[in-house]
Order: sequence, then structure tokens, then C-alpha cells
Amino acid sequence: MSDPMGDPMGDPMGDPMGDPMGDPMGDAPGDRASPASIEVRELGRWFGPVVALSGVSFDLRPGVTALLGPNGAGKSTLFRILCGLANPSQGSVRILGEDPRRNPALTRRIGIAPQQESLFEHQTALEFVTLAARLHRVSDPAAAAAWSLVDGDLDPDDRRPLITYSKGMRQRVKLAQALVHDPDVVVLDEPLEGLDPRQRLRAISRFRDLGERGKTVVVSSHVLDEVEKFGSRILVIAQGRLVAEGDFHAIRDLMDDRPRLLRIRTDRPAPLAAGLLIGGAVQGARVSGTDCVEVETDDAPRFRRAVAGVARDAGARLTEVVALDEDLESVFAYLVRRR
Amino acid sequence: MSALFPVLVRSLATRGRLLAMGALGLIAVLLAVVVRVRSDATFNRPDVAYNLVDSYGLSVLVPIVALVFASAALGDPAEDGTLVYLWLRPVPRWQLALAASAAALTISVPLAVLPVVIGAAISGVGVRLVLGALAGALLAAAGYTAVFCGLGLRVRRALAWGLAYLLIWEQAVARLVKGAARLSISVTTRTVVARIDRHQPLPRNAMSMGVAVLVPLVAIALAVAVTSRSLDRGEVT
Repeated sequence: MSDPMGDPMGDPMGDPMGDPMGDPMGDAPGDRASPASIEVRELGRWFGPVVALSGVSFDLRPGVTALLGPNGAGKSTLFRILCGLANPSQGSVRILGEDPRRNPALTRRIGIAPQQESLFEHQTALEFVTLAARLHRVSDPAAAAAWSLVDGDLDPDDRRPLITYSKGMRQRVKLAQALVHDPDVVVLDEPLEGLDPRQRLRAISRFRDLGERGKTVVVSSHVLDEVEKFGSRILVIAQGRLVAEGDFHAIRDLMDDRPRLLRIRTDRPAPLAAGLLIGGAVQGARVSGTDCVEVETDDAPRFRRAVAGVARDAGARLTEVVALDEDLESVFAYLVRRR
Repeated sequence: MSALFPVLVRSLATRGRLLAMGALGLIAVLLAVVVRVRSDATFNRPDVAYNLVDSYGLSVLVPIVALVFASAALGDPAEDGTLVYLWLRPVPRWQLALAASAAALTISVPLAVLPVVIGAAISGVGVRLVLGALAGALLAAAGYTAVFCGLGLRVRRALAWGLAYLLIWEQAVARLVKGAARLSISVTTRTVVARIDRHQPLPRNAMSMGVAVLVPLVAIALAVAVTSRSLDRGEVT
């Protein structure tokens, strides 16, 4: 059972940081004083009739930026174009001032951990990362690979082939090969998937450290609470469009502002529903059982402040307050509608 | 390229492929043993031994083995997503194309070229057939692996497309149409065997030795160039 008096709406509102739905070009994440490492202009990509990306524009500067979006939003397509693995159908991408397409020399300055799990399964982790180091012409590739593995909490002396590795270990191997040549731009596609909580914290700390060292780190995720830990800068992509960008808290607030559907379990649903409606804390209420009422509100903070007092006045005991539309897909759908 | 080559060889050398293609090679050796032990008066051993090299070795064994390994050299990494770990590196694309072709050839030599040569030797009709088999099978293996590497990168179901190419172009059109023969790895390399072995009659639509050697070499260069271009301009999943 959840805490009846807890915060059903998640993180309280932070300080607004401007309009996160504003002009994407006008509210670019990153330190405006430094030149953009990644410049994306009116980027579009379609596969036949399917539009994967449309009109995406942003600048990224050194530091960690989270690319947030539901599965199928276009994050991986965007990443593939950023790294030169795919062509845009329209628009342009510049990485460190250069076009990443047909530019093998630029790859020396880019590190990528792709989403797919396949590795060279017969190799050991050390062989796999050493191969990356050798191809990037790192001096003493074996030593660099061993260091990169150790930094990812992996044992470079492990002689087992990669096919025996768990998902979490494979994620860390992918991260090690992406960082072994000390790239300026690091693109990580869902790098926390499969990691246990301790490894997640370690990986996040690593990303932040890279950002503080002046690297441009772009990390994709579909878990909102996860990206809060990366840093404060976020790009939100949904249905192939950039629907919000800016500070994490501003985007979180925006998400808090959307209409919300909540379920309250209580021993006196009808008086509680009436009290909430009369007080204006909710716009709609439906008693859906002997101990349950569902309410709709477009002012979540106000609901949070009011619910305990209304319950007290109605003599109702709250046993559960949960959001029914907390999943990210509904949040992104709302952002897309607003856009 | 030296870093790419061993990785590609190891990825290609799966147990299933090695066993299946090894069995095809073994057939060549077993047939040669049969040729050697037959002793009836009507049996024309030189002709049958030549046909073993020509009709099985260069027309079936070498192209099939080359197709299986070469189409997978870049096709498998492209399909399973590991190509990104080779592609997103500061390595010239031609080196990647060449390394993939070389890896497929390296495996094809012991599994296809060697059985053809051993078969020619076992059949016991003379050193010229052995030399011809070595030269022809090597050229054919190199030519086919270069071509099928590019095919594996460009198309899905490369095995089916490769088989169609072998049956329609190499085994039918090139043997029947004189102009097409000069664009055929099969006809040119069979010509090399026949001319070194001094076998008569020459294969249909045979050409001079110079042309027969040059065509596969040009095919290799063109195929590597096309594969490099595909790597450069194509998309990596």
C-alpha cells in the first residue's frame, strides 16, 4: 500500500526555468558561451510513408544531455544520424563542425554505445575493447582497453567470451568500447538498460564526470526519473518531433501541469469526492466502488495540497492515492498534443 | 586492416559452416579416390579427372563455399548490428572491404581450393592438372569471394541471390553467349585450368590465357571498389 499522505504526483514542482516548449533553437541546452558540439537543423528522416523524425533542431554543448522519449519515438534514428550511420532525408547535422556522413576521420572523436546487444560474441571483453582501441589508433591499445574495462567495473582478465555475459555486463562492455579512445562526443543509446541499481548509479556518475571534463555526452532513455540524475538538460522527443527541451525541472513541471487521473482508496468515497469537487481541487470525480473514487485534476499541486484536509473534514481515511496515467507514453502524448 | 582480418575470420568460421562446407570438399577428395582406383580399359582417367576439377571443383565447390562465407563476411555484421563496431572507426572503407574479402578467401582456400587440388593430385593424371586446378581454383575463389562480399552487404537473402547468379549467369548465360563469357568468373577460370592442363577441347567460349587471368583480377578490383562504395554511402543498422 502506498503512503496515503505521500506525494502521488511524484516530484514536487521545482523552480520554473522558462518555457520548455519554446523555440527549440532559442532554448538550447548547454552553456551558450561555448560553441555547439552538435548542431542539428530541421532534421527529417522518413522510411517510405513512415516519418521517423521531422523538423528536429537543436544545439548541444559540452555536458550531459538526456534524450528522453518513449520507445519508437525516433531516438535511435536520431542517434544513428548523429553518428553518420544513417542519412537524413532532410536537414543537416554537424558534429564538431563537420558532417558526420562519409567522414571516417571524424569517428575518432565520436564514441557510441548502440542499443542493440550484439557484440563479437566469441571475443573476450578485453579483445573486444582492444579492437576498438586499435582501430582508433590508441597508443598501447591493450592497456587503454584494460583501463576502460576497469573503469566500468569489469575484469580485463576475464577469459570468458562475450556470449556468456549478462545484459548488464554487455552494457558496460559497450560503454568501455565507446570511451576507450577518449572521444569528444559520446552518444549512448539506452545505456542503463539491464544495469542493476548500483551499476546505474556508477554509470550515471561516469556520465556526469565525462560532462564535467568537457565532453558532449548524449544519453537516451525512456525513464523520466532516470534522466533527472544525468544532469539538468533534456531533449524530449515523441513521434519523431522535438516536443520539449531545456531544464529537467521545467519539463517536469510541464508534465505536472497536464490533466491527471488519480485513484483514491478511502472508507468514505462519496463524501471525499464531494469535498474535493466543492473545494475545486478536482474537475471531475467518479465513485467507482465501495472504497474507491477516481478524480481528474488539471492542477496537480493544488490537489496535493488539498486532499489531506478534505479527507480530514469528510472524516475519511485515505489508504491509497495513485496516478492512473503516470506512464511516459501518456505524458509524451500530452506534450505532442500541446506542441 | 590487420586488426579487422582476424575478427572477421573468427566470426565467419562457425562450426556449422565449417562442417557443411568441409563435407562438400570431402566429396571432391572421395570422387578423386574413385577416379584413381578405377582401372577398366574403357575408363578415360585424364578426361574424368579434368571433369572432376572443372565440373565439380570450379563449377560447384568453389563458388558455393565462396558464396557461403563471403556473403556472411559483411552481411552477418550488417544484419546483427555489429558492423557498427567496425564501421564507426577511422578506418578507410576499402580496408574494411578488402579485409572481409580476404577473411572469406582465407577460409575458402582450405575448404574449397585445397580439396580441388588434392583431388587433382589423387586422380594421378599429372602435375599439369594439379597446377591448373591450383591456379584456376585460387582465381575463382578470390573472384567469387570479392563479388559475394559486396552482395552480402547490399542485399538480404544473399545466399539465394548468389545461387541465382551462379545458376543463371555463370552456368547458363556465360556458357552459351560468347560476349558474356568474358564477364564470367566460371568460364575464365575453367579456361585457366584447361590451358595449363592443355586439355582438349577447351571449354565453350574459352578465351586466351591472358584474358582468362585478367578478368577475375579485374572482377576482384571492381568488387572491392563497389563494396567500399557501399560501405561509404550505405547505411549501417
